[in-house]
Amino acid sequence: MTDTMAFWIVQGLHGLQFSMLLFLLSVGLTVIFGLLHFVNLAHGALYALGAFVSFSAVKLTGSYWAGFLLAPVAVAIAGMLLYLGLIKRMRNAGPMNQVLITFGLIFVFLDIFRIFWGDIALGVEEPALFSGPIEFWGIKYSAYRLFVIGLGIFVLGVLHLILSRTQIGAMIRAGVDNEHMAACLGINVEKVFFIVFCVGCALAGLAGAVAAPILSVYPGMGTEILIPALIVVVIGGLGSLKGAMAGSLLVGFIQTFGAVIAPQIASVLVYVLLAGVLIFRPAGLFPARS
Amino acid sequence: MLKVANLCKSFGSLVVTDDVSLHLEKGERRVVLGPNGAGKTTLFNLLAGEIAPSSGDVFIDGKSITSLPVEARAHIGLSRSYQKNNLFEGLTIGENLSLAAAVAMGLSGSLLRDTHNDPELRKVVTDVAAQVGLKDMLEMQVANVSYGNRRQLEVGLALANGPKVLLMDEPTSGVGPSMISAFHGLLKTLPRELTVLIIEHDMDLAFDVADSITVLNYGKVVFEGTPDETRASSLVSEIYLGDWDDDA
Amino acid sequence: MFHQTKLKTFVLLAILVGLIIYTMNGSYFGRELVVEVAILAILAISVDMVSGYGGMVSLCHGAIFGLGAYAYAAVNVLMGGPPALAVVAAIVAAFTFGFAVGAVTSRTRGIFFIMATLAFGQMIYVMIFDSKSLGGDDGMWGLTRLDLSAIGVNLESGVQFAIFSVLCIGLTYVVAALILRSAFGRTFSGIHENEDRMRALGTPVWKFKALAFGLSGSLAGIAGALAAQHTMFVSPELVIWTFSGEVLIVVILGGLGTLVGPVLGAVVMVFLKHEISNITTYWHMIIGILLIITVMAGGRGIYGGLEQYLARRAAKAAPASGAKTDA
Repeated sequence: MTDTMAFWIVQGLHGLQFSMLLFLLSVGLTVIFGLLHFVNLAHGALYALGAFVSFSAVKLTGSYWAGFLLAPVAVAIAGMLLYLGLIKRMRNAGPMNQVLITFGLIFVFLDIFRIFWGDIALGVEEPALFSGPIEFWGIKYSAYRLFVIGLGIFVLGVLHLILSRTQIGAMIRAGVDNEHMAACLGINVEKVFFIVFCVGCALAGLAGAVAAPILSVYPGMGTEILIPALIVVVIGGLGSLKGAMAGSLLVGFIQTFGAVIAPQIASVLVYVLLAGVLIFRPAGLFPARS
Repeated sequence: MLKVANLCKSFGSLVVTDDVSLHLEKGERRVVLGPNGAGKTTLFNLLAGEIAPSSGDVFIDGKSITSLPVEARAHIGLSRSYQKNNLFEGLTIGENLSLAAAVAMGLSGSLLRDTHNDPELRKVVTDVAAQVGLKDMLEMQVANVSYGNRRQLEVGLALANGPKVLLMDEPTSGVGPSMISAFHGLLKTLPRELTVLIIEHDMDLAFDVADSITVLNYGKVVFEGTPDETRASSLVSEIYLGDWDDDA
Repeated sequence: MFHQTKLKTFVLLAILVGLIIYTMNGSYFGRELVVEVAILAILAISVDMVSGYGGMVSLCHGAIFGLGAYAYAAVNVLMGGPPALAVVAAIVAAFTFGFAVGAVTSRTRGIFFIMATLAFGQMIYVMIFDSKSLGGDDGMWGLTRLDLSAIGVNLESGVQFAIFSVLCIGLTYVVAALILRSAFGRTFSGIHENEDRMRALGTPVWKFKALAFGLSGSLAGIAGALAAQHTMFVSPELVIWTFSGEVLIVVILGGLGTLVGPVLGAVVMVFLKHEISNITTYWHMIIGILLIITVMAGGRGIYGGLEQYLARRAAKAAPASGAKTDA
């Protein structure tokens, strides 16, 4: 194994790890979007909430896994409250009002984080199980990052199985495809919406907990990752699992490799890709609805 | 003026327009008849460019417009009205008409002229409004007027758009007898050089105003002739009147 | 569709005169607030022009504004150009970017459009942040203001600069109103009402969207040039995406699709923010909650409410006449 080869493999793994993080975040966003026709700009804030909850849980218990388990649950509960209090009522209010409401939520969350956790970046330790690097083929790579990659693939597999094999999965697919038709078939659309919204939020919380050791925890982390996640959704196509994965990989790899190969233009590459998709495939690469 | 050559459109295995050819002379009034699902509206969508044909060509004045987008066809003078009202609901009737007229007069892109107070354009708007019987309703908001008035405006928009070829998709669908007869009157006042293609359900109107009649069934042209020939055709009464009896 | 009503003229003039009187009698800090109002109001007018009248809800006008400020700084500081040329550069840069975004996104609708604008705005942010020649994270210093000594105005004076800013609101409003009442503007509103029919009538929709977005962008560029001259300093802070959201809040608060409402919204927002930050540092949360309540209440903003109130009163006074409100 030559040094250059090793270098590219490490870059590839970096890209994969970033892609998986984006996937965990954008899959909830895109399915909520496709099913409920609701865009949640506060999805990034929920991700940050997950990171903060995991920080506190780790601090209290001393175990990374406490945060890993608690963050999705806590964020799902927050999502539940948001859904029942605000989002259910705003579902048919049109995209602009949804954007405004959830933008308002971003502001509210931002100050909640500042009040409870302060303005400074907080660190979370990697779990002992995955601390330090792993060596293979003469390459040293962070075990924790490999864990994140594995987790992303695992979640993709589970979601794929749920969507393709289970009753609720069939309901979700029917709902994304045609909401009215689904209601006519006797599907309790409201219940499906609620479950999907909560699961989407839980995944955002999980993403936050997973990202905490890599990116540290600070109030603006949600607004920072929101835009790449939205780009993934637009590129991938509304409401599609396949699209979320494809979009995440594209964005993750372009950003990682762009920074190495052409740093001067790296920051713009993703937007060029977005423009291309909007011009030639305005519905995204893999739209769930034809 | 309008020539359609071997036009076909299929959605998957479903053939909705099957080798349709038409030829309309300048100033001709042609009525398209056919039972529900015969592919009449699809034919209009193909002519207007809202959907692309699977094969075949459409010509205006001898030039192929098959590859032109909707807006370019409108520019050439192909103007249409819709079976389902497709209006600017939030605007007044006058504003609706002036939008259509401004495009036809090449004013719509002007950053300097206020089309609302442009005398030349006002004249077109009031003329068209008078033609379709909306003269006194220019200031009314579309959302607040009756269904019948909207049908009138639907045709008004197409007329204000300065057409050479006018496609009207069931202009009298859902309106009462008095408005249908008013519409007969309107058709007879249209300038003689205007070529008109109308989808109609109302047989009386068809026989009254048409120079010629085309009958579609299952996406195919099954008959073409003068109103008298159509009346006499046993094939037509079988297909069309049979359906008519079932529906009515 | 836009109509310049008497009420609009009255409200606009009242705000402008009020701001000028406040400037003349106010402190240094008061004048700062007035300039802040002016910048926000101009930006809000430019957003309302496309969002309120064209349905193109933009989350990139903050970035276009920042681009204008940076273009001003680039010409003024990097190339040593005169401020007048820098203003032109700000407007041209903002127009060009706005036109490009409008063209690229012309086929997208609703939420896809909003997200696309957000992303392209962010593109400007990263480009500026990553650019060493534009000062990167640090920004650029030492900007100079327009020299209007030929007409006896000295913009180095705080009072005169504040009054100049207020007059810029008036100028922007007039330009936006003229565009909206032109044939172009009316067609643009028609596209908002019914894009498919407008296309069927023979309108090349993308050109209208792109040009409208470009023109609106150039107004945002004016706001940027004003901001650059105000602080005589630019930094990537100007381009941060949440600012676009704040501008949209101002537009909604004042009244979307009323053109004068956003000016009113800017006045309320700046003074409210000022009052809240005197009480607590957590003004984000207050503004956020206020926004959520405003949207949930489903109102038509301050100006829309005023219009409705006056229409109801007029209807009561003359029940037979059937008064009609017009946005």
